Amino acid sequence: MSRRYDSRTTIFSPEGRLYQVEYAMEAIGNAGSAIGILSKDGVVLVGEKKVTSKLLQTSTSTEKMYKIDDHVACAVAGIMSDANILINTARVQAQRYTFSYQEPMPVEQLVQSLCDTKQGYTQFGGLRPFGVSFLFAGWDKNYGFQLYMSDPSGNYGGWKAAAVGANNQAAQSMLKQDYKDDISREEAVQLALKVLSKTMDSTSLTSEKLELAEIFLSSSGKVKYQVCTPEDLSKMLVKYGVTQPPAEA
Amino acid sequence: MVGKNCFAIASDRRLGVQLQTIATDFQRIFKIHDKLFLGLSGLGSDAQTLHQRLVFRHKLYQLREERDMKPETFASLVSAMLYEKRFGPYFVQPVIAGLGEDDKPFICTMDSIGAKELAKDFVVAGTASESLYGACESMFKPDMDHEELFETISQALVSSIDRDCLSGWGGHVYIVTPTEVTERILKGRMD
Repeated sequence: MSRRYDSRTTIFSPEGRLYQVEYAMEAIGNAGSAIGILSKDGVVLVGEKKVTSKLLQTSTSTEKMYKIDDHVACAVAGIMSDANILINTARVQAQRYTFSYQEPMPVEQLVQSLCDTKQGYTQFGGLRPFGVSFLFAGWDKNYGFQLYMSDPSGNYGGWKAAAVGANNQAAQSMLKQDYKDDISREEAVQLALKVLSKTMDSTSLTSEKLELAEIFLSSSGKVKYQVCTPEDLSKMLVKYGVTQPPAEA
Repeated sequence: MVGKNCFAIASDRRLGVQLQTIATDFQRIFKIHDKLFLGLSGLGSDAQTLHQRLVFRHKLYQLREERDMKPETFASLVSAMLYEKRFGPYFVQPVIAGLGEDDKPFICTMDSIGAKELAKDFVVAGTASESLYGACESMFKPDMDHEELFETISQALVSSIDRDCLSGWGGHVYIVTPTEVTERILKGRMD
């Protein structure tokens, strides 16, 4: 069809599409999903871990959730190596802002600045776009808790609830049905786990396959980013009735 | 100053331009993380800028390595940053104090272009440094506990800055043990 227009990122197709960008989004559609939900007292991020071999060295570091600054974190879907570069860029941008202005970078500005970087790879340089979609969760003093979704084209939007990665259409429609505007953080965790359990392909759902992180204000008023421990996550899965033990081999 | 499994870091509170006093509550000691403190004496503007640059570097280190910087590593970082400006230096003399591996106290100072000076007992910096060397040398005892350490460092600080016309307006003392950080303000000659 228009095969001769899809090998270069920097040209449009006759139908006005950027094929490389769309192919990048295809790559993300095969990756582990992530869901973010904005509640009135925090933001919840849940991710599905794709690599769950017993041989994997599980250290304290996470596969899908990354802290960008004290007040912003993100969940990743797509090519992990691309994500690492972008996360490092985001971290440096946040620190540069803090160095210049001596205050934390507003979340939207951080997302915008990172998306500008992503956009550059769709317009010039002849390099392929990043195959990553992000869900940014953060708090700043101007707009409180916020959730943003960004994709390889460099587009971003503020959302109340969003899903990226595999089966994100199904997850998004489920979220649209069940989300309420005044949802609390606990209810948001419950909803996220429920939606993820329904959209995940795997046959069993244990705490090894998931990652859960929350951004909220601690009792002293400081923003806190907390990743749930596997033990607490297991208890929550049982509590909300979504756990499915692995089938006996 | 080093104590038994603890350390103390103290500074005066005057910010002045030769004879004029600009502020009497100037913060010269900065916390990098719970077990690492940095004191910067010298030009006020350079002290603040250097501190901001170090916070930048340390925050990125924390995010990437997922742990706090060790005091020895931090000292090397400060030294490298100061030497970068070898031919247009920051006019500061840093004093670094922290609890390293197994909560072993670590202190060091350096000149304005990054020459590190490690010590086992105490380090000093600033306009009253000669007086401080004398006071610390005579008052210091090894393995003091944190209360005695507080008394000793306070006496050494206050007696030295009271005799120095460019230092004064009280003192700021931080005592750091593996479990807590105590901050106290001292009253000296207010002139």
